[in-house]
Amino acid sequence: MALVGESGCGKTVSALSILRLLPEPPAKITSGEIIFAGRDLLSLNAKQMREIRGKKIAMIFQDPMTSLNPVLTVGEQLIETLLRHKSLNKKEVLKISAQLLGKVELPSPEDKLKQYPHQLSGGMRQRVMIAMALACEPKILIADEPTTALDVLIQAQILELLENLKKETGMSMLLITHDLGVVTEIAERVMVMYAGEGVETGATKDLLDSPHHPYTKGLISSRPHLGSTREKGQRLTEISGSVPTPHQRPTGCAFHPRCDWSTEQCKTKKPLLQNTNQNRQFSCHLQPESI
Amino acid sequence: MTDNHSFLEVKDLKKYFLPRKTIPGSNTTPVRAVDGISFTLKEGETLGLVGESGCGKSTAARTLLRLESPTSGSVHFKGKNLASLSEIELRNLRKEMQMIFQDPFSSINPRRKIGDVLREPFAIHGFKENVSEVVIGLLEQVGLSSDYVNRYSHEMSGGQLQRVGIARAIALNPTLVVADEPVSALDVSIQAQIINLMMDLREKLEIAFLFISHDMSIVEYFCDRVAVMYLGKIVEIASIEEIYKRPGHPYTEALINAVPGMESGQKKQKLKVRGDIPDPSNPPQGCSFHTRCPLKEKQCEEMEPTLKEIAPDHYVACFLKEK
Repeated sequence: MALVGESGCGKTVSALSILRLLPEPPAKITSGEIIFAGRDLLSLNAKQMREIRGKKIAMIFQDPMTSLNPVLTVGEQLIETLLRHKSLNKKEVLKISAQLLGKVELPSPEDKLKQYPHQLSGGMRQRVMIAMALACEPKILIADEPTTALDVLIQAQILELLENLKKETGMSMLLITHDLGVVTEIAERVMVMYAGEGVETGATKDLLDSPHHPYTKGLISSRPHLGSTREKGQRLTEISGSVPTPHQRPTGCAFHPRCDWSTEQCKTKKPLLQNTNQNRQFSCHLQPESI
Repeated sequence: MTDNHSFLEVKDLKKYFLPRKTIPGSNTTPVRAVDGISFTLKEGETLGLVGESGCGKSTAARTLLRLESPTSGSVHFKGKNLASLSEIELRNLRKEMQMIFQDPFSSINPRRKIGDVLREPFAIHGFKENVSEVVIGLLEQVGLSSDYVNRYSHEMSGGQLQRVGIARAIALNPTLVVADEPVSALDVSIQAQIINLMMDLREKLEIAFLFISHDMSIVEYFCDRVAVMYLGKIVEIASIEEIYKRPGHPYTEALINAVPGMESGQKKQKLKVRGDIPDPSNPPQGCSFHTRCPLKEKQCEEMEPTLKEIAPDHYVACFLKEK
């Protein structure tokens, strides 16, 4: 499953809320439920939540340099996670740590345990982050823009690794990204977010082949893709304007000021999520055929 | 334009950075950021410069504009050797060569109004008349209303600021603009706007672009020719049509393959590249790509391939293509 949207659309906040990682106050989950394995995570106390976090649901972040502790070695950080959730002695822990690093295809894992984050490259650091997240064999892995800070070739490597690990361990993954290309590589289902709301959900191929929401359609066509039948000087399709700030969300449909198809109704009335066949959901007043 | 010389001609340009002397006996091998690159650019043409971070593409751009002084090599712009020019001559020529930067938030002074930011190039080059009107005209050209003159950078979005960056670059009617990753800090929907704007301006003002990017899909869209850089060297240079159809260097092929595909279902046979880009102060012997190349042979570890023409105007530095 992937969450797609532009910066400021609320992707990361959604993910952090699931893990209840937002500082409260100022942030407050005003309503809704988060059901995980039959329990509402919002009803749990801090201690119970800690049992879930890291052990059942783990998260990897966009920038591996700022999310690793620069004054601890890779080994020390990995061991911390393991000791926190499992009762193991020191020898076992070291062995498991090395195995974990091997699993994420880091060369010479024993040596890497003794190194500090600054001695590793961006790609290697992200591998370490993934190893830490996998330490307790979580049921869900939340990956918040895991490849955005990386070079294209390294991005391809990390995506492949995530895909293999998913197959191997059978865990679920929530991938947060702004890049529809990354989505097609890895996700089975997608939710497109705009201004704090999911505007369209569906199976990846289905959604990309026939977008129902004008925003989804805009996102797909504004991206140049390789090997497209390119004519010289042909312009990219653009979405005019920019994402509204959370303080000044437009009335009605949040996308209407930027939408090519907006009508009077869109300015005043908020469209509801409607279901179509094949698990598709979208929120737009217009019929999908008309856009 | 003087005869024989192209519009822009870069020959064997090198830029090494020496590490600061800290402790006696510490490592003093220079970082070879740009290690002998040569290319030409015609008037009004767009050349893409692609590669991963640390391959030297930004340094190459800064060195050819003489924002950094080159270690060796020459840059001829309109027949003039930039290295031989005096400060004043160079400043006069700077009018014609401008740059757009990656991060508009750090390249535009946050303490000055946008109008003042745009007035600065005119002040530096001694234009005094009608500057205010010209500035408003510039803003309109990049799709911003004249109200923006009195705004500060923090009041604007990244896309709007990048438009200001572009306005500043075209203020003095340059003939060459170097754009260093101009859209990589922007959101997808805004990227398309900025690319379209640059395409319009390029057509209208007949500007030659050196477009630096790591994104092969945008380069395919925007450029006429591409030079692929790896560890300070150009490993392949060819026209867009040629390079995407017949990539000659394994690195180029890997870069093209690594673009996450939008065409669902169609998974190609991918060339897999292992590991990271090596340390540029200690590049590998032989072909600098051999440590990551899936197709490497014995000679790649020993000898360094040079650029060879494998098809008209298609140059590749790889032994495998010489056979």
